[in-house]
Amino acid sequence: MTKTLFSKDSRETWFYGIMGLLVFLLVWQAACIFTDFGRIFPTPGVSLSAFFHAFIEPIGRYTLLGHISISLRRVLIGYTLSSISGIIIGLLMGYSKLAHAIIYPIFSIIRPIPGIAWIPLAILWIGIGEPTIHFIIFMGGFSQMVMNTMDGAQHIDMELVGVAKVLGAKESQIFRKIVLPSSIPYIFTGLQTSLSTSWMAVLAAEMITAREGAGWLIIAGMQTGKIENNVIGMISIGAVGLVLATLLRNSERRLCRWSVRSR
Amino acid sequence: MKEKTKYIVISIISFVLFLVIWDLVSKSGLISAKKLPAPSKLFETFIYKIFNKNPDGNTLGIHILTSLKEALIGFFFGIVIGVPLGISMAWFKKFDKFFSPLFDLIKPIPPVGWVPIMITFFGIGIMSKVSVIFIASFIPAVINSYSGIKQTRDVHKWVAQTFGASDRQVLFTVAIPSAGPMIFTGARVALNGSWVSLVAAELIASTKGLGYMIQTARLVGRIDVVFVGVLVIGVFGAIMMEALSLLERRFVKGGRRS
Repeated sequence: MTKTLFSKDSRETWFYGIMGLLVFLLVWQAACIFTDFGRIFPTPGVSLSAFFHAFIEPIGRYTLLGHISISLRRVLIGYTLSSISGIIIGLLMGYSKLAHAIIYPIFSIIRPIPGIAWIPLAILWIGIGEPTIHFIIFMGGFSQMVMNTMDGAQHIDMELVGVAKVLGAKESQIFRKIVLPSSIPYIFTGLQTSLSTSWMAVLAAEMITAREGAGWLIIAGMQTGKIENNVIGMISIGAVGLVLATLLRNSERRLCRWSVRSR
Repeated sequence: MKEKTKYIVISIISFVLFLVIWDLVSKSGLISAKKLPAPSKLFETFIYKIFNKNPDGNTLGIHILTSLKEALIGFFFGIVIGVPLGISMAWFKKFDKFFSPLFDLIKPIPPVGWVPIMITFFGIGIMSKVSVIFIASFIPAVINSYSGIKQTRDVHKWVAQTFGASDRQVLFTVAIPSAGPMIFTGARVALNGSWVSLVAAELIASTKGLGYMIQTARLVGRIDVVFVGVLVIGVFGAIMMEALSLLERRFVKGGRRS
């Protein structure tokens, strides 16, 4: 299944791929010219030039890169906090039945609530500002992190634990040498899903409470009637989301080569 | 069995203790009731909201119905269009080559990102929400049915072919059933995504629905209503997920992991 650039199969791939994109762009262009769609929506050309302009000219208070880096910083803070606490609580609940019995009933109230639904509460509690946004991102990723880690810590090979016990391992040794390593693939699954929900949560939070960031960019595009800003925002959000997901997947491949799940 | 009862008792005690502490903290004024209403107060508000239109113009039941309707319509169309598209992309090579690059462009954009554009197009009525939810469920539906079909074991296909099955028969009797669990995983991701983006869309612009209810309650400072709304959102999200799991247990044969 090696593909070279000029094999028949790969030529077809390129041909149909480019055809697909061209048809899309043509439909977009045609819709802008011939229908009312064009009155509110920019043509592909206009959007593209606006996209490149946005790197130099600021929209609102920052340039495009400025907005994106602000959003990224927010995500990283909230995401790191939610991952760390999610892993700790997840391991605790997965490993100790007592901890599970104590925490799970309370956790199960929070679990089904989407991170975004916390926005109004967070604003009432903390006010408008950075900590609110961090909190929303935290809630966006937290329960997924807990659930995945817990799943991992519950699916350990009991035979291994038995062997370790027979050989006289202490509880803390079992935890470090068996439970932790075998949960890591699950933790990575959690890290991936929670990263994408965190990225979504930051957008929603910025749409509602912020004056800068990628989410603000698209909502401001709507409010000021500059739909091209909206389009730019979506393109860059998609691109950043893609980069984040790829980075995480590659690091998983590197860190858990031994795991079957990371094939 | 005895150990199990012990843990159940611990769970109940823990939960009750949690409520009691919450109640005490709120009533003693340690955290003001304006920030953290007591559970009993929330229950009162819940009952009040069922019959009363204040402060946002509709009773709780209408908000719930609106949200459910929007979420389920969008979800339905996302699945009905997404699953066949994913299956055909996986089965017909040319289809795949045509749609894949396009789809790869749309895929990484979070559904919430579509909210402003859809509002610009359709206004703040039901259409803008349904279309956002459509995208939110369409994408995972395509991805999962695509990889479900792609993961069909070659051996199974070969067996079918050896026994003289036509291409269509292989698709409908081998590939699609064996992709069932994956397709349902996709549906679960889709449903979750729909509910999340529905709440986001309603928070940003709408006139009805649970997201609108909590947003309005925040603006007028009724934190008890916000709390009730958030809890109701959680409960209905959980109920819909449960319903989907029931469907899955009914329709998918085998293939369930652990």
